[in-house]
Amino acid sequence: MSADQTRAVRRALALLVLLAAWETLSRIGWLDPFYVPPPSRVGGVVFDLVATGDLWPHLGATALAAFAGLLVGLVLGIGLGFAAALSPLVADLLEPVMILLNAIPRVILAPLFVIWLGIGLASKLALATILVTVLIFFAVYNGIKEVDRRLVERIQTLGGGQTVLAREVYIPSVTAWVMGNFKVAVGFAFTGAVVGEFVASSRGLGYLLQFAQSTYNAALTIALILIIMTFVLVLFAVAERLERRLLAWRYL
Amino acid sequence: MLRVRGLTVGYGGEPVLDGIDLDLESGHFASLIGPSGSGKTSILRVVTNLLQPEHGAIELDVNTREIGFLFQDDALLPWRTVRQNVTLGLRIRGAASGDADTQAEHWLTRLGLEGFGDRYPGQLSGGQRKRVAIAQVLALRPKLLLMDEPFASLDAIVRTRITQELLDWVEREHLTVLLVTHDLEEAIGVSDEVHVLSHGPRATIRARHSIDIPRPRNVLQVRRHPDFGPLLQTLWDELADEPPEKGTAT
Repeated sequence: MSADQTRAVRRALALLVLLAAWETLSRIGWLDPFYVPPPSRVGGVVFDLVATGDLWPHLGATALAAFAGLLVGLVLGIGLGFAAALSPLVADLLEPVMILLNAIPRVILAPLFVIWLGIGLASKLALATILVTVLIFFAVYNGIKEVDRRLVERIQTLGGGQTVLAREVYIPSVTAWVMGNFKVAVGFAFTGAVVGEFVASSRGLGYLLQFAQSTYNAALTIALILIIMTFVLVLFAVAERLERRLLAWRYL
Repeated sequence: MLRVRGLTVGYGGEPVLDGIDLDLESGHFASLIGPSGSGKTSILRVVTNLLQPEHGAIELDVNTREIGFLFQDDALLPWRTVRQNVTLGLRIRGAASGDADTQAEHWLTRLGLEGFGDRYPGQLSGGQRKRVAIAQVLALRPKLLLMDEPFASLDAIVRTRITQELLDWVEREHLTVLLVTHDLEEAIGVSDEVHVLSHGPRATIRARHSIDIPRPRNVLQVRRHPDFGPLLQTLWDELADEPPEKGTAT
């Protein structure tokens, strides 16, 4: 058995022991099932959500807001980052705003977006977008400012102009920086969507969470947390594969 | 081939270089030596338009596209394969993709990197990366080759081997070369003339020495030539004469 397999078996065993202990403690009454329902009950809730199909409209709504926010945030972050890095005027205007947005917990904007944009998709998309935009803006802006000058001069001495510099140095560098932050951006987009739904909405995993909390349904709350964690982990795996594909030269 | 006239270079404060005059004849191999901070690299950067001088002029008998610049660092694009790095300059100058690839293979083979075309720079050793950088520059068939301590980071054996390969090529093609180096033995071993810069700021060329050791040269055996030892002593004395470093390093 390889070291990786040994590690995986150990982790699986540790998880099983933890679940078994949790189940036992809950069943013998040492843990109050009202607050800490046993894993079997949480598993049952997950099964019901999936089997009845109740989960899918909510998961779909959250995924739509998260993916749309991720896409718009990437486009805005890259565009504004490039503009600020290449134009001192744009940098002067944008940098203080972005620093301010970066300094605050941006989820506090959620109520404002609900007031402005309503409880539909737009307010969730806006929150996910702003979370991603600020992250990607700084990745691109700082990345371009700190681009390896030796590579720039290499291109210049080979006779390359701005177009060649963009194609050979800036765009590959920006791709590396963006992909380096991509997994965090996926997490941020999901955070924005779920928090937006939690504040005010009529569907989505955040809405379900809010419902579970207001009805003191701990089993549903834990089940939803597990579903969100699983979904984000799947997205992380996809993001990692994409990163390894786009930045193949880094993983050789 | 290259005439530098009254070159003064500064970085906002006191000039690093002050009134440098330098002539490099076609087919000659010249070295620039001097203490750290004396502005050796700045001269090369002005010749390649990477740096604007405060005063002075650069006169060239070749087009700037016929100048090859070998940097101290290999400065290869990490996201491009070896072949793509070697063909970069050719593609910038409009070579067709097929022709550029053929030339890249030719140069990689010449430099002992046959079969390495699909690898990335991160998969190569320091010496191999340096060979790729050399291939990238020589593939452009420069008439004037500028080198800024190109082999400083390599170990002695690799350094000697690559220096010899490059020297063989320069002698065979009668390239004009201006080399910046800290290594006095290297300067004497490969050059036809050595220019000694004084300490910066306001560095000037304080001495010029012709080296009449016949070519072709072997970088190891050249040290046994009767002129080598005395010239090394002279250069050493000239540099040891310089006051301790206190200025800007460039």
